[in-house]
Amino acid sequence: MYPVKSVVIVGGGTAGWLTAGVIAARHHGRIKAGSFSVTLVESPAIGIIGVGEGTWPTIRTTLAKMGVSETDFFRHCDGAFKQGGRFARWTTGADDDAYYHPLMLPQGFAEVNLVPHWLVRGNGTSFCDAVTPQGRLCDEGLAPKTITTPEYAGAANYAYHLDAGKFAPFLQKHCTSALGVRHVLADVVKVNQAGIGDILSVGTRQAGEIAGDLFVDCTGFSSLLLGQTLGVPFKPCDDVLFCDTALAVQVPFERPDAPMASQTNATAQEAGWIWDIALPTRRGIGYVYSSRHSTEDRAREVLARYVGPRIEGLKIRKIPIRAGHRETFWKNNCVAVGLAAGFLEPLESSAIVLGELSAKLIAEQMPANREVMDIVAKRFNEVTGYRWGRIIDFLKLHYVLTKRTDTQFWIDNVAPESVPERLKNLLHLWKYQPPWFFDEFDRLEEVFPAASYQYVLYGMGFRTEVDPDDMVGTAKAAMRYMSETTAIVAKMRTQLPKNREIIQKIHEYGLQPI
Amino acid sequence: MSNVVLLNSVTHRNLRVDATPSAHYGDDRRFVGVIVSEFPLLAVHCPLFFSKDANTGAFYCGAMLGFDESENLFLDDGRDCYRPLNLQRGPFFTAGDELAIDLDHPRVGRGEALFGENGEPSAYLKSIIQLFRDLVPGLERTKVFIDTLLKLKLIEPVDLDVAFDDGSRRDVTGLYTINQEALREIPDAVVLDLFRRGYLSLIYLMIASLKQVPVLARRKNRSFTAGLSLSHA
Repeated sequence: MYPVKSVVIVGGGTAGWLTAGVIAARHHGRIKAGSFSVTLVESPAIGIIGVGEGTWPTIRTTLAKMGVSETDFFRHCDGAFKQGGRFARWTTGADDDAYYHPLMLPQGFAEVNLVPHWLVRGNGTSFCDAVTPQGRLCDEGLAPKTITTPEYAGAANYAYHLDAGKFAPFLQKHCTSALGVRHVLADVVKVNQAGIGDILSVGTRQAGEIAGDLFVDCTGFSSLLLGQTLGVPFKPCDDVLFCDTALAVQVPFERPDAPMASQTNATAQEAGWIWDIALPTRRGIGYVYSSRHSTEDRAREVLARYVGPRIEGLKIRKIPIRAGHRETFWKNNCVAVGLAAGFLEPLESSAIVLGELSAKLIAEQMPANREVMDIVAKRFNEVTGYRWGRIIDFLKLHYVLTKRTDTQFWIDNVAPESVPERLKNLLHLWKYQPPWFFDEFDRLEEVFPAASYQYVLYGMGFRTEVDPDDMVGTAKAAMRYMSETTAIVAKMRTQLPKNREIIQKIHEYGLQPI
Repeated sequence: MSNVVLLNSVTHRNLRVDATPSAHYGDDRRFVGVIVSEFPLLAVHCPLFFSKDANTGAFYCGAMLGFDESENLFLDDGRDCYRPLNLQRGPFFTAGDELAIDLDHPRVGRGEALFGENGEPSAYLKSIIQLFRDLVPGLERTKVFIDTLLKLKLIEPVDLDVAFDDGSRRDVTGLYTINQEALREIPDAVVLDLFRRGYLSLIYLMIASLKQVPVLARRKNRSFTAGLSLSHA
């Protein structure tokens, strides 16, 4: 028996420190007793990519479980509230073409599927506004909570926008000071393997050999352990998702008290889309585009047109995107998390949430010894492979429902050969029955639940045939939930402060733990 | 709305302030911030809770005087019940070390003189000066008390659901009290520390004051009955 007593994480970006924190918090008792250790080896020379600035509500539980104070998070990571995504110009490309994918489930989601009722009696109200208050909250730039709401609680569901360059050092400090994670600043120059391929240790330039029982590859795009050392191939998906380049820029606010959007804005362009994320000090803006459909010069023009004259003199960073993921994620005694596992365009902020889910699965299923590790690895690969597949499907959904034909990019995106088989089947099925429970999304901790599909499908004008006779039994409940939505908006409007105002208060007064 | 100025014996020589408890003078408050030294005086009459400042979210201690907006069920008791410093202070504030007054406060006009003929402070003004000598450091001591309890995770939210004789109910939210389960779990060394700092007695005063909630409800019930007898008269 070879017990698993030491976990070595290689790489110290967002993925590395999140994984370290999640594992160390889960196994804190054993770490304290000295029978288990978590070590993070980080190169003092290699910087972090730090593109992930959007999260999912899971991040609140993740941080709370690590024992992080939400107030500290806001103050040190340039944190801001995110209540969903607003997708503009994706369907027709017209000025008024926009829909929300909010973070709140439709009202009464567990009890009744509102889709058919909205389809029949929606009276011109958008799906989002008919079933949840959150789109309206975003329209008015309202925060999801007040200064008296305890840490990590909300009147409306929320996630964060954050400065990834500040998030990793913030987690590092917490992991090393509160969770007993060992931090080694050294460059990995060699990976030592046993005959069967297991990694025995990493050789470093500054700190000698670092041995471990389980290695987590958080080395980013280079995938040093899983890809380079263990030879797990990369599976591109650029035949489905065409964007392969991002031009990113940070735009300061004109005034320190300028209004801050409460959602991620994603505005479709001729050969991709532009993200626009509000942090307290600046907006992070980036054009993600397909280099097969646009030259870089043209992409820079598109970005400049979106930002306006204020782009003058700002530094534009070019980031290549290789859409896809490793064929497997856990091989031998090595598992990859973050960019080392794969990367997709940040259309639905899937990077950090997938890192969290992976870290949680590793922490919860931490194999007791090497003998049972392969069983856990197989499970991990199944679940994680499924998750990547569903994220790819879900991102493609945003493109495949477009009615735009103004550029080749949008025309190519609806080409049947670019649509995964599974998604094709679902779209076929959903013509006759709207997604809800009992759909195929039945896995524990689905990244995008059926509600997310509802918001995108019906936000983009998808139509499902419904039989009014089939809705009789649930009509009363549905009408009640939909009228409740309007009442909740009216109530929240009087209670919730502006997004900017609450951020300033959190910086000044802090949130209470209870 | 308010016109707060520093108090001086020249400009305000002839100013008078009405010190009698009255709903018309701003005593119509169902929850009033208090300091720890007031706990023993208040716990025998009314429930003590923590609540959060709507503007900053910060916890403070307060005495519950009623159930509905602007309802102070102790107003008719006159001087029989201890009146919290925050009501006794009336139109007065502190600005640094100096005393300030809100000239637009409804109490300002008639009543107690603030200064004598030669500009010397009246007995009433002296009592106000003494009040702030208690209140200002008291607020700081109360904050330290709250911070200590928060750190020990001894504060928990509590919702009051009270039924009245007229058939109505009140669901009072936004209140917090001592987490008695957590209190039983604290290590001996912490208990000793809380005792030495005088916090243990404050904690038990707060717990004991919870028994004042039904007493306060009876007060409100009596007001219904009083209303009934009036309407019959």
